[in-house]
Amino acid sequence: MNPKTFLIVVALFLLASPMMAQDHSGGWANPIAAGIGMAIASGLCALGQGKAVASSAEALARNPGAQASIRFALILGLALIESLALYTLVIIFLKV
Amino acid sequence: MHEHELGLTALFNDHLAGAGNALTSIVGLPAQDRPWANWAVMEILVALVIMALFAILRSRISMDKPGGLQHIFEIIYEFLHGQTEEIVGHHGQKFLHVFATLFLFILFANLIGIIPAFESPTMFPQVPLGLALVAFLYYNAQGFVAQGPVTYLKHFVGPVAALAPLMIPIEIISHLARPMSLTVRLFANMFAGEQVTLVFLKLVPLAIPVVFMGLHVFVSFLQAYIFTLLTMVYVAGAVAHEEH
Repeated sequence: MNPKTFLIVVALFLLASPMMAQDHSGGWANPIAAGIGMAIASGLCALGQGKAVASSAEALARNPGAQASIRFALILGLALIESLALYTLVIIFLKV
Repeated sequence: MHEHELGLTALFNDHLAGAGNALTSIVGLPAQDRPWANWAVMEILVALVIMALFAILRSRISMDKPGGLQHIFEIIYEFLHGQTEEIVGHHGQKFLHVFATLFLFILFANLIGIIPAFESPTMFPQVPLGLALVAFLYYNAQGFVAQGPVTYLKHFVGPVAALAPLMIPIEIISHLARPMSLTVRLFANMFAGEQVTLVFLKLVPLAIPVVFMGLHVFVSFLQAYIFTLLTMVYVAGAVAHEEH
């Protein structure tokens, strides 16, 4: 795998290191499942946000006068999509 | 995970433990050795900082020669006033004080974590939960007041009365999901921002974590704005009179 992916995997393992002190009552697969789950959540969230940003950029190009409403819809949409990925992160911190 | 006591919290626990236990005994909790938690002390600090800032502002307000602080607060006020106007409508200005309080409290609470000796109170799940419950109770209360209890509750039934057994559970769940999502969004953003900075501090102790601290500052502003925005949207939905 390329160096960037490797660094991200290392970062994820280091992020889990405070949790290594807990007892592994959940089993050895918990950190792996956490990593994979978070990766899937972040990837899908990025796809959704990419679509939101793309259509808002297009709308801004077509209708620069509606800047305020387009910006409002964009920020609201991005934050709501972001929060879905964050729910996964919360589950990871609670269960792993 | 965050058992380490801050300097200020240790100060509170050393000298004000009696007051802390008196407060927790109001809700029936047993007396503890060191009752003040980090987040409670930080919340009080944020409230005191905001009050001090407004006291300074009030003493320096001037129509002819506005200073820098007045300019900043005028910008904040214009922004919140404009957003309320846009989202709730003109008669929504009576809610502005609550929205502005939420916005400023969350903003200062998020930002105080950047300073080394302090922690963001919003980094602990209790604090965003409290704020989300305030927002939830507030928009429901305003809905009851604006539309009358019966009319407001009739909204849960949905457009067609025959669909009521289906609509009522869906509506209740979606309304309960609102404070949950407000809580988790704010908490997870603040907590994850700090954790990401810590991770990169472990990886590269110099220079790179500053980028993530910068991102955390931006996210702090954005999350305070989003929380306030969503509260405005919920209040707007609760007090809206349907035009038929």
